[in-house]
Amino acid sequence: MSVSSVLFSAGTRSEMDLELEPPLKKQRTINTYLPDIDIWIDKIKSSDQNLSPVVSDEFNAPIKLGKVYVGYIKNVQDISKAVMTLNEKIPLKELQHLKRVKRQNIILCPITSLNSETIQEYIEKNVGELKDIFDYFQVLEVPFTAPRVTKQYQETKKYWPCNFHPNHYWEKLVRNSFFTDHELVIHRTYMEVVMEIVKWHSNYLQIKLSDDGLQDINASIVVDPDINSIVTIAFDHRQIHPLQHTAMIAIDNVARTQNGGVWDNNISDELMIHLKEKFAINFGVRDSNKNSKEGPYLCTGYNLYILREPCHMCSMALVHARTKRIFFCIENQEKGALKSTVKLQTISSLNHHFEVFTGFL
Amino acid sequence: MDDFMRRALVLASEALAAQEVPVGCVFTFNGNIVAESRNSVNITHNPTRHAEINCIDIILRYCKNNQINYHTYFENIVVYVTVEPCIMCAAALNNLNIKEVIYGCANDRFGGKTVLDVNTFYDKGYKLTGNVLADEAMSLLKQFYKGANPNAPESKVKKNK
Repeated sequence: MSVSSVLFSAGTRSEMDLELEPPLKKQRTINTYLPDIDIWIDKIKSSDQNLSPVVSDEFNAPIKLGKVYVGYIKNVQDISKAVMTLNEKIPLKELQHLKRVKRQNIILCPITSLNSETIQEYIEKNVGELKDIFDYFQVLEVPFTAPRVTKQYQETKKYWPCNFHPNHYWEKLVRNSFFTDHELVIHRTYMEVVMEIVKWHSNYLQIKLSDDGLQDINASIVVDPDINSIVTIAFDHRQIHPLQHTAMIAIDNVARTQNGGVWDNNISDELMIHLKEKFAINFGVRDSNKNSKEGPYLCTGYNLYILREPCHMCSMALVHARTKRIFFCIENQEKGALKSTVKLQTISSLNHHFEVFTGFL
Repeated sequence: MDDFMRRALVLASEALAAQEVPVGCVFTFNGNIVAESRNSVNITHNPTRHAEINCIDIILRYCKNNQINYHTYFENIVVYVTVEPCIMCAAALNNLNIKEVIYGCANDRFGGKTVLDVNTFYDKGYKLTGNVLADEAMSLLKQFYKGANPNAPESKVKKNK
């Protein structure tokens, strides 16, 4: 007897029920155990907000300023010679993003380049040929970090001219209009399926979905966005098996569609029928005949929709699986590894980087 | 300590022979090996089937069959693994409150200490010791990466390695 059926039959009917005529069909009462989930589902469906990409902090970081010596060039004819000589003799190194010149002002060096000498002495020592072209020197604050996106570029410009080439993808990430309305409907529908899986299980297991009760509940689906089809679904099983978090099960379920897999399949047929009846969505993997002999490889090209932000174990498992995109609904303050405690997708030394989106509620 | 690592290295060689990433692992309890395994990612098409995860599954099955509380059992486990556990495995071992982990060579691509120090996200954290028979572990990895991973799709960018 499975755990779920044990828990289910544990909710016995009272004597009163037995007296009712005709006997009520034993049914799972929807909503009794779900104070919040229907509100969430409504919110997920009705929200007109775009989903927000979880990006590296450097896109939102305020610009860092630092002090440099700036020389005022007496004659404009000397500017180009000065730029060439300075770039050759004392290049700006970490400050390559800065333009050297602003009208007749030219950046000489960060103030930290000098030891005990004056700036005039420093110039005479390192670029003697320029020692007489300056009218005066001053210390100015300039941006020490390169702007990554236009928003930051606008800020840096206020201090000093910068080299900047907008990266269109990054611009799209920070603009908060990543998906079209049509795409949003699709993503929100998939998250609704995740919610429905949670709802179905919580009815089955009679788990009360309060804020604390939700702690250890998680569900996910894997979607092949190229054919708009749900490849597999997974419900958290960690109470029985400490590694069987929903994402770990989802990865194993995907492996099973590729003639692999290790753990027992515990997807309920009844739940699958319920989902197919409720949602006008395709299920299953793409027809591999069309894709020559090569089928899908791990979760390459697949998206994962998951209720709660995955933990470190699951997030790294999703990196290993080369998942394309992760969509999550609720932040996991203590153990979340895609936003809350760390952003695994921004660690450059990892060999795969997926995109992460949230903001369903 | 070396004997357990040598056993883990034998398991890693078995992985290499089976065209898997050569990582081997043994779990010990009171100085006895209670689980041993190796990487089995390619055969299972499941990228999470690292040696450590396989060993965890073995212990869980053993505990279930013998009605042992796995929580307390794992708290007494010392892990010997030929390569530094990756971020996923480090988190899994932390979740289970493993007592101690001893590894061979560091893992600068995925390491749960080198790339991201997973222990800092957990209250307890386990004792971690590296560099035990590291050269042997590394030489197995080098042998593997000389040949291509038969299961990986063709790389879009030609590698110079």
